[in-house]
Amino acid sequence: MLNVILADDSFLWWTQLWNGILSWQFLQFLIAFIVIFLFIMTSAVIVILLERKVMAWMQDRVGPIHTGPWGLLQTTADVVKLLLKEDIRGQQHDQLVFLLAPSVFMAPVIAAFAVLPFSPYLGLPGSALATGIIYLVAVSSIDVIGVIMAGWGSNNKYSLIGGLRAAAQMISYELPLVLALVGVVMLTSVLAGMPGYPGIANSGVGTISIREIMDFQNVWHKTGIGILDFLFQGFTPWSWFFLFQPLMLLIYYTCGLAETNRAPFDLPEAESELVAGYVTEYSGLRWALFYLGEYGNMTIVSAIASYLFLGGFSGPGVGYLIGLNSPGWGLLGNILALGYFVTKIYLLCIVFIWVRTTLPRLRSDQLMQFAWLILIPVTLGNIIVTAMVYLIVNGLGAPTWVFLVIVAAINWAAVFGFVQLVSRVTVSSTRKAQAPAIRAQRRAAATPALPLRDAVPQLVQPQSATASSGKE
Amino acid sequence: MATNQDMDIHPVTEDTGEGIKSQEMLLNMGPQHPSTHGVLRLVLTLEGETVTDCTPVIGYLHRGIEKILENRPIMGGIRYMDNADYLSPMLNEIAYAGAVEQLMGMEPPRRAQYIRLLVGEMQRIASHLVAVGTYLLDLGAFTPVLWTFRDREGILTLFEALAGSRFNVNYQRVGGVLHDFPKGWMKECELFLDRVEKNMAELETLVTGNEIFAARTQGVGYIDPQQAIAYGLTGPMLRASGVNLDLRVNRPYMAYREVAVNPQVRQEGDCFARYKVRMQEIYESIRLSRVALDKMPGGPIGTRSPIALRPPRGETYFAIEGSKGELGIYFISDGSEYPWRAKIRGPSFVNLQILPEMLRGHKMSDVVAITGSLDLVLGEVDR
Repeated sequence: MLNVILADDSFLWWTQLWNGILSWQFLQFLIAFIVIFLFIMTSAVIVILLERKVMAWMQDRVGPIHTGPWGLLQTTADVVKLLLKEDIRGQQHDQLVFLLAPSVFMAPVIAAFAVLPFSPYLGLPGSALATGIIYLVAVSSIDVIGVIMAGWGSNNKYSLIGGLRAAAQMISYELPLVLALVGVVMLTSVLAGMPGYPGIANSGVGTISIREIMDFQNVWHKTGIGILDFLFQGFTPWSWFFLFQPLMLLIYYTCGLAETNRAPFDLPEAESELVAGYVTEYSGLRWALFYLGEYGNMTIVSAIASYLFLGGFSGPGVGYLIGLNSPGWGLLGNILALGYFVTKIYLLCIVFIWVRTTLPRLRSDQLMQFAWLILIPVTLGNIIVTAMVYLIVNGLGAPTWVFLVIVAAINWAAVFGFVQLVSRVTVSSTRKAQAPAIRAQRRAAATPALPLRDAVPQLVQPQSATASSGKE
Repeated sequence: MATNQDMDIHPVTEDTGEGIKSQEMLLNMGPQHPSTHGVLRLVLTLEGETVTDCTPVIGYLHRGIEKILENRPIMGGIRYMDNADYLSPMLNEIAYAGAVEQLMGMEPPRRAQYIRLLVGEMQRIASHLVAVGTYLLDLGAFTPVLWTFRDREGILTLFEALAGSRFNVNYQRVGGVLHDFPKGWMKECELFLDRVEKNMAELETLVTGNEIFAARTQGVGYIDPQQAIAYGLTGPMLRASGVNLDLRVNRPYMAYREVAVNPQVRQEGDCFARYKVRMQEIYESIRLSRVALDKMPGGPIGTRSPIALRPPRGETYFAIEGSKGELGIYFISDGSEYPWRAKIRGPSFVNLQILPEMLRGHKMSDVVAITGSLDLVLGEVDR
């Protein structure tokens, strides 16, 4: 039976596979994979070097200086060391899970990179995906499976606790992270079709494609004045979404810290508590894969923040050069765009590092409290407020810029309110924690009096023959 | 303090009727663990992330210092006191030399006493700097530890100029100290104190007002005053619980009979209070060091005493306020040049006893927060 089926279909089946492998799409896929992997590798190497240097400067040290000029080759040497290290596996590990975990952790990172447009023309096939945000969010939440697998497969208690902490944390912070992005999407649906904006007017249809959201942050009309056109075509910082949704950028970034297990949310791999959490048992290349994944995630979080809130790869000169419609200038424009984009990513990564040098770590229950009691209500509130303001403004027949101004004002006020709220909540919760102690202290009002000897004690006079008579 | 064998592997859980009970997990924290301050081993019984029981296991750093002391001439033994509490060697030496002096009925010259006060207070600054820095490292803040170690480096450099050795100073002698100040040392010391005061203000702005730090430490690891006294706590641990006991004030010795000390007391009794007491004591020690530099009398730095020192037969107990609490030496002499017995009352060892009491009911993350606030030095616990 089987033979018959194979015989019937074998020609077709083989041909299809062969055609598939030889096809343009497969070549594209291969190139995409290799390029992304190389980009993640180099990006991780650069970010780690950046981290070590920036942290060193903030901490009054010099950082790596010996390998290469100014220590620039230090991380490269580290990578070589990790590649050459012995692959250690414990006997009691759940081998399959243990071995698969780093790949499961790493794969979504590579997949997420597939939809990131690096410059107007330089992007992988997926960068035109119409559902970019949903794809990114969905893919980056697969990471947690790799973490749990690592925690379970290691057969180590620290790893297990770390893995479970990571699961709870990543799933909890996924929600406010997504909800924070909804504000931007709502703005695009309001702005669609407005003069200077893409889309169909009054349709209420926004976009969740990353490329189109970037177009929404570009409102320059050609003026014909060369220098202004050169600077601002495709680069209008006054229309970037972080001006209208600053609180959401803050919350998105905070959740990004938690998603990537960075300080102050680095509980899953808290060194002082869990040794290294779920990566405790890993060494060599597998360990390197986890760290590649983590730094790749950092890059992705920074990239999304820059696309949605900070204008993506736009910068002075990009739109103008590409608009000239000549291959040479277009190439230059693309290179410029890539430069701006990478600069924005690394600047946001420096903020990651800055936070790490500054803040201590949260406790696990405080972490959950922060996500569920503060971040999620605030992000939900933002969605409701944005919608209500739009309905009211629209109902009154006022122009859309009124809506934008009101939303921006509310959001900027909310940033300061949010900081105050977080501070108050922590202070009041710590006071609550202190309350029993203080009550107990009041109950024990009579603090026991200690023998207080104000006078200078007399010297003890040497006694004779009180001690036993020497040792043999 | 139980050993392995005493440990109850399967402790009985009482059903408090709240939430889902999960299987208990026995977690062996240490002796090789980044935040057990050396080689402390904690056998934790966890339920989820909540600690239900804790058994500290000690002895991994036992070097037999007390036995070594019995086999060394008294002057030769001073060097081994450096290794007991390796974060405050000067204070250890002062305690040992002071015990012998007390037994011999001998008083070091006034200048030597002031030098001891100066180096002792600077050693206290160094020890508290390490305590604060590593405590914050335990809590996940990476920067403070490097800043405090940078400041501590200045003290070690000054000690090197003074004694010839950075760490194991071997500077105190029975009846005085080994060397007088090198040229320009006091000026350098004043400059250093100014610098460290400025840096401490910087550290305070980074740490003390931080909400996460407050949330991690306030109300965590509470000790009430009665409990603190019952467990025999001393030093910053005791003073953070609102009990005002400072041996420099209550039982003044050497130059402290002339120099007034303001004991630093906090009422909260939690980890934050202990951190705060240490920070305040650093400022107080800076002030005392300045006083000592200003009032530094002239004269000899030591009495002539033979290398083969033979104290009279007898026994004595001499305690100073070490950086971690009451650092006492119980010294028994049989009249020979070797001590018959020299028992060290290490404050870290005594303070460690309360740890299981404090940990019960706290979260796994609080284990490091509480253990760090004890400021343990395992060299002193195990000796």
